[in-house]
Amino acid sequence: MGYVRGLKKGDENMSEPLGLKAKLGLNVFKEDKERHIEIKAGFEKDPRLIRAVYVCPAGLYSLNDNGEVEFTIDGCLECGTCRIACGPEVLEWKYPTGGSGVQFRFG
Amino acid sequence: MDEKFDAIIVGGGLAGLASAYTLAQNGLEVLLLERGDYSGAKNVTGGRLYVSPVRDLFPDLWKKAPLERFIAHEEVAMLAGERSLTLRYSGNELANEPYQSYSILRAKFDRWFAKQAERKGAAIITKTKVDDLIIENGKVTGVLAAGDELKADVVIACDGAMSLISERMGIRSPGLPKDHAVGFKEIIELDPNVIEDRFGLADGEGAARLFMGEVTKGKFGGGFLYTNKESISLGMVVSIKDLMEDQDVTAPELMDNFKLRPEVAKLIRGGQTAEYSAHVIPEGGYKALSKLFADGLLVAGDAAGLALNIGVTVRGMEYALASGYYAAQAVIAAKEANDFTASKLSLYEKLLNDSFVIKDFKNFKEAPQVLDNPRFFNHYPEFVGNMMKDIYEIPAGSKDRLYPTMKKYMKFGELWAMLGDLRKVMKI
Amino acid sequence: MNIVVAMKQIPDLQQIRIRNRQPVFDDVPLTIGDIDKNALEAAVNLKEGTDANIIVLSAGNEDVEDTIKEALAAGADEAFLILDDDLEDAESSQIATILAAGLKKMDDVSLILFGEGSGDNYSGQVGSRVAELMDLPQVGYVSTIEVNGNVAKVTRSLEDVEEVIEVELPAVISVMAGINEPRIPSVTQILKAGKKPKEVLELDDIEIDLGAATIETNSNLAPESDRKKIVVKSVDELVEKLTAENLIGR
Repeated sequence: MGYVRGLKKGDENMSEPLGLKAKLGLNVFKEDKERHIEIKAGFEKDPRLIRAVYVCPAGLYSLNDNGEVEFTIDGCLECGTCRIACGPEVLEWKYPTGGSGVQFRFG
Repeated sequence: MDEKFDAIIVGGGLAGLASAYTLAQNGLEVLLLERGDYSGAKNVTGGRLYVSPVRDLFPDLWKKAPLERFIAHEEVAMLAGERSLTLRYSGNELANEPYQSYSILRAKFDRWFAKQAERKGAAIITKTKVDDLIIENGKVTGVLAAGDELKADVVIACDGAMSLISERMGIRSPGLPKDHAVGFKEIIELDPNVIEDRFGLADGEGAARLFMGEVTKGKFGGGFLYTNKESISLGMVVSIKDLMEDQDVTAPELMDNFKLRPEVAKLIRGGQTAEYSAHVIPEGGYKALSKLFADGLLVAGDAAGLALNIGVTVRGMEYALASGYYAAQAVIAAKEANDFTASKLSLYEKLLNDSFVIKDFKNFKEAPQVLDNPRFFNHYPEFVGNMMKDIYEIPAGSKDRLYPTMKKYMKFGELWAMLGDLRKVMKI
Repeated sequence: MNIVVAMKQIPDLQQIRIRNRQPVFDDVPLTIGDIDKNALEAAVNLKEGTDANIIVLSAGNEDVEDTIKEALAAGADEAFLILDDDLEDAESSQIATILAAGLKKMDDVSLILFGEGSGDNYSGQVGSRVAELMDLPQVGYVSTIEVNGNVAKVTRSLEDVEEVIEVELPAVISVMAGINEPRIPSVTQILKAGKKPKEVLELDDIEIDLGAATIETNSNLAPESDRKKIVVKSVDELVEKLTAENLIGR
């Protein structure tokens, strides 16, 4: 998906690109005892899951070589977009335990 | 604990805090439960609060509120693939007090607002998630939070766009992609002097900028930029339905491409990203509003679907503040009558109907359908971009007359389609 | 019998960010150090089934009054606070003097618990200094505590050995990190915490001379992390490079 237009490499306006992982690394995350989002058993290959690959702003969902959607909870912004896109039939979705998860300093 | 509260509020965002503040001010026993480390820890905004509609609901609040900059200049840019057209609006009504709107950072504002509510007497407990409602004979009588049973006459669900609480009560179904957008943004730190120079701002002034067109690849939505005191809020709002159906670009890629647009890149040059946040935004409008009350339960803010996208503005915070305020008024009346049934609490809906909140939602009830039109996000930006290019371009040879150049664009098919779009836009 | 737990208010370390190699403390929420919480949890466990009373002792700026609620919710029965905005940057010897002065105002103290070091500076001095000022025995690196009458039997976990020591009370005991899982208070406990007794003194009330500061901080910079920026194309190459750096296969 190499969709970048409007600016050529080496342009003086281009600032150092910040990878998504590095960007998420700027946030405060407090560890939770359990994952607050799970793909429901039997739904790993559900076509609705693929939507999450496109909508998740933290890029936590990805498609592996077997056509399955893989998911990591690290860096979850708790925005709720995957629940809206895939639906609660596919995702077991709740908020993390109080005092854990992302803590925005600016918001 | 034997103690029973007059009201328990789920969620310390603007709706919840407005409720807690108002109830405590009127002497009611109120407990607010917030799952973040502090109020605001889980809350995200694009970045602008319109104070005007809610100024009088909280008259003592604004003087010391930690708002960032008042918005003195508005710009909207239509971005085509290789060019853009920008409109800039300034005016005395923006530059003079009372200021209409301010840039805002929620982690700062909400934390401060929570302190004000505590000073009024509200009990605010953070780091605590409400796991469930206590429902007896169909009536909400309290909440379960971290193993504790907490009782109250009324529970006010201010638990945000996902509102698992109203789902639990059965007064709302899980949100649908067509009624929701996702917003994501970066906080980019910059020296205040650089911000002021770069955006042409006097002391305290702020700028708001919108970007429509190529940045969303034709999807319903756009980019935004707000200047804060020492940072810039830069982000996008994009329809979840369009993102998941098109499957041509991911949300993080849209953000990266947005930052690389020359129109944007030069505004954030030299800045250091300090935070990346995201949130779902309800934008289904009037038709997608949730039921607002049940026996022992009220729903306010994003939880009720109270956010409105009318293209040039996406507003939610004023509606959250106002709905929290009116929910509190309904609870105060219910307490006086010692009646917390749905029929008594329906006063909340009446108050909202009579206020700017539901009036706005009715006025703009066609907006979601009208704006769900890819022509606004790919065709028109390219169209005006090309037109500007032909008007301004001085070619190597002779330049064509302007009228025939324009006429080239105004073909019958184009005019007919424009007319169709215009007729729809007239419903907004 | 009173068990005193000394606790220090510190910034929430996870919330501190680094900007131009300097820590940014603006708006960082305040909390109590993790090891101090272990000390409190140890006290709460000791209290169970006895009529002991747990007093949380702290010195710091005005915010402590709010921060200390966390300890009152997690099992302390009362708070004894010495507050002054000058104490925000006080050093170990000054804090020890103040805490000792506070302790002298209490009756029937049998045990004074500290965390081995504070959550922020971890200089690990205050416990020993208080013991010295109070002329009390002190045991450090403690992982378990049992109290039998007038004697505490404690385990010291040292690097290679475990020592079991009996010490006569009253005594100062410093516990190690992670010796227990501090309880997370319920909403009800947090609500009740606000109503527990608090004795708040100002520096003037304890009539001590803090003396001039003896420690000067010259620099407080985040370490520079210079990456080697080695790009590898295969696992074999990675293994080779790491071996060459003497990072694996030693």
